Amino acid sequence: MGKIKGTLLPFSALKYLGKKPHTVRYPLETKKIADRYRGFHYNDIDECIGCGTCSTICQNDAIDMIKIDGIESKKGDSGLRPRVDNGRCCWCALCIEMCPTGSLSLTDKFILTSSNPDDYLLVPGVDNPEAKDNISFVKDNDITLLNFNRVPMRELEGSERIKSFAEVVLGYVQEEARQEAIRCIDCALCVTACPAHMHIPEYIAAIADADDKLALKYIYDNNPLPEMCGKVCTRQCETVCAMAHKGDAIAIRWLKRYATEQFPDPSIVLEPKISDPNGKTVGIIGGGPAGLSAGYFLALRGFDVTIYEALPKMGGMTFAGIPKYRFPEDSLDKQIDYMKKIGVKMINNIRVGKDISFAEIKEKYNAIFMGIGFHVPYTIGLDGENLNGSIQAIDFLREINIGNKVDVGKKVVVIGGGNVAIDAARVARRIGAKVTILYRRRVEDMPADWEEIEGAEDEGVNIITQGIPLEIIGKNGKVKTIKYGMAEMIPDPKGGRPRPKLIEGDEHILEVDTIIGAIGQEADYSFLTEEDTKELEIERGRVVVNEFKQTSMKNVFAGGDNVNRTMDAISAIADGVKAVEGIEKFLLG
Amino acid sequence: MSDELKQEQEIARIIHTTFKTAEVDIKRAGRLSIKLRSDLLPPFISYLRDYLQFKHLVLISCVDWIEDNEFELVYHVYSYEKKIHVMIKVRIDRENPKMQTILPFWDHAGTYEREIHEMNGVFFEGNPDLGEFILEDWDNIPPMRRDFNTVKYVNEVYEWRKGREDKQDVRETISKEYGEIIPDFDSEEK
Repeated sequence: MGKIKGTLLPFSALKYLGKKPHTVRYPLETKKIADRYRGFHYNDIDECIGCGTCSTICQNDAIDMIKIDGIESKKGDSGLRPRVDNGRCCWCALCIEMCPTGSLSLTDKFILTSSNPDDYLLVPGVDNPEAKDNISFVKDNDITLLNFNRVPMRELEGSERIKSFAEVVLGYVQEEARQEAIRCIDCALCVTACPAHMHIPEYIAAIADADDKLALKYIYDNNPLPEMCGKVCTRQCETVCAMAHKGDAIAIRWLKRYATEQFPDPSIVLEPKISDPNGKTVGIIGGGPAGLSAGYFLALRGFDVTIYEALPKMGGMTFAGIPKYRFPEDSLDKQIDYMKKIGVKMINNIRVGKDISFAEIKEKYNAIFMGIGFHVPYTIGLDGENLNGSIQAIDFLREINIGNKVDVGKKVVVIGGGNVAIDAARVARRIGAKVTILYRRRVEDMPADWEEIEGAEDEGVNIITQGIPLEIIGKNGKVKTIKYGMAEMIPDPKGGRPRPKLIEGDEHILEVDTIIGAIGQEADYSFLTEEDTKELEIERGRVVVNEFKQTSMKNVFAGGDNVNRTMDAISAIADGVKAVEGIEKFLLG
Repeated sequence: MSDELKQEQEIARIIHTTFKTAEVDIKRAGRLSIKLRSDLLPPFISYLRDYLQFKHLVLISCVDWIEDNEFELVYHVYSYEKKIHVMIKVRIDRENPKMQTILPFWDHAGTYEREIHEMNGVFFEGNPDLGEFILEDWDNIPPMRRDFNTVKYVNEVYEWRKGREDKQDVRETISKEYGEIIPDFDSEEK
């Protein structure tokens, strides 16, 4: 027995045939690297926005933000990119976890030794573009140190809203504001998009630190109408917010609103220092955001400022155009009262060119600021537009806001897709009409704020898209029906918005009591005499200004909708603030 | 509750018969978290290991609750039979952080204790070897404490390499580019 076993035993080694040996093989095989191996960094340069969060979070101070040739700063991009000192890096990967865009990652490549210390100074993505294919450690979106979810804003229910002009948005309470502010990563990219370049990271940080007074000081530093902005701003800041790349943008507008709402009288907190009178006088035509902002800062710097306004109240379009459910009158009053305290003189119900001539104002003041806005609506250009019952949104909103009654009947059609159109539709809904919006493009092409569009839908406004109005048909001099045709979208070869093209024969008719046109406005320059118009350079309806908002008439400055193209409150405020610098330079040298 | 948590509930019940003050929290199937008074830890560990068959010490970790002025020691133990992972959490004073060793139950606990002693500065009574572990000639506060400023330490100890002078601050770059002057309210008040 033993003999046989001894003979067979060597053959038992055969069972290892075909098995992988444990010994080192030649030529050397590279082993497979672990899935989440952490080597040198890689950065997707195009996706990176230069927010600097990686540099801030690095516990070894190994990441610098540097300027790189060929990458320019723009809105929402600082133009800087990270550079990693791998001599300091400890591969903790906090930078990857905190990257709001997810552009930064770790590769499975690294340098073990090198005689050249500069090999360890790496601009990820620029110095190692080939590493794109070797990414191994990326951010896990399920487990993240960043909080991508916005604290929801409480609003009135849609059915509740249409009963009155009560404010729709209810505002954050203290705890909600803190929670929202803490989400901010303090990158300051929002400042690049804000026309007024407000100190956004600073005031959000102050709110997060429960120091609302400090927040208010930062807010008022370059924006004297923050409560208005907190409610109706177009918030370009939020569109470029670093957090918006992978989640919800920080609610910058609501945070500003929160901070301003905490103090019934801002002057107690701000304790504004008003300079001694310098003897110079400035006349301001138009009490809108641009005129008010210019007036506020001029008054602070010792100028004698008087604002002329045609309407019974200051505020311009924010008073006459924006419905009260978005921007209540007491918020406006609070800000106007504060300005009066600073010493801004305001004269209402006086129209320049009618009650007082432009020449007289030019005579009376050392410098003029012109913030007259866009108050004259474009006509739609349809047959039957002059019939009774065809009105303009801007006039309609103004009448309602002043407190007059407007009878729009039971069925209303609003033509247009901008904020004015949506406002008119929602106001008409509140005074009891059934409202349809007729827009020539798609919903996603609408220039209006998406929150406004959603709000309108919640309130039961019907939106017909790709509908081109063709004709307004009347009966006995009054609007009866509107005919519109459906359109198809033709993509723009130049990459712009797609253009609607009418489909022949696809026509529809809507019964209607009132048609509200809202396709845009222009400025009213009728107060200028012929000589003035020769001297004052106006191009395509807008006054031409230099960097300091100075027009071709040396003592006349201008700002607001009649100057800039963005045509919103915050740009007007920015214009006003900039003009103050110009006026100061012009009058005081 | 569902049947799948029966075993966990049974363990919680047994623990409560002996340790009335232990707060047992069933996180999910196979995972328990137990908050315990710190002086009860050695008898509790002994009870778990010898009576409830939790034979394996996975690791010991330490959390710095600087706001509460406390350290939290977390003992992870596992039972291969029950397939249950238990985290025992005890809080100790942060000013004078002392804990009894669990070296008699598991030899390898000594290594974890030595590490926590070095990194968090918690003293383990009865552990004969709490000498220097990973850090060499450390003369600062223990580095895993939250009041240890890593960035400050790194910049004091390590020199800046050449070629990093061109670094920019994102906030400064943006404010410069857009002509924004950031007011300094803090210094004004002083």
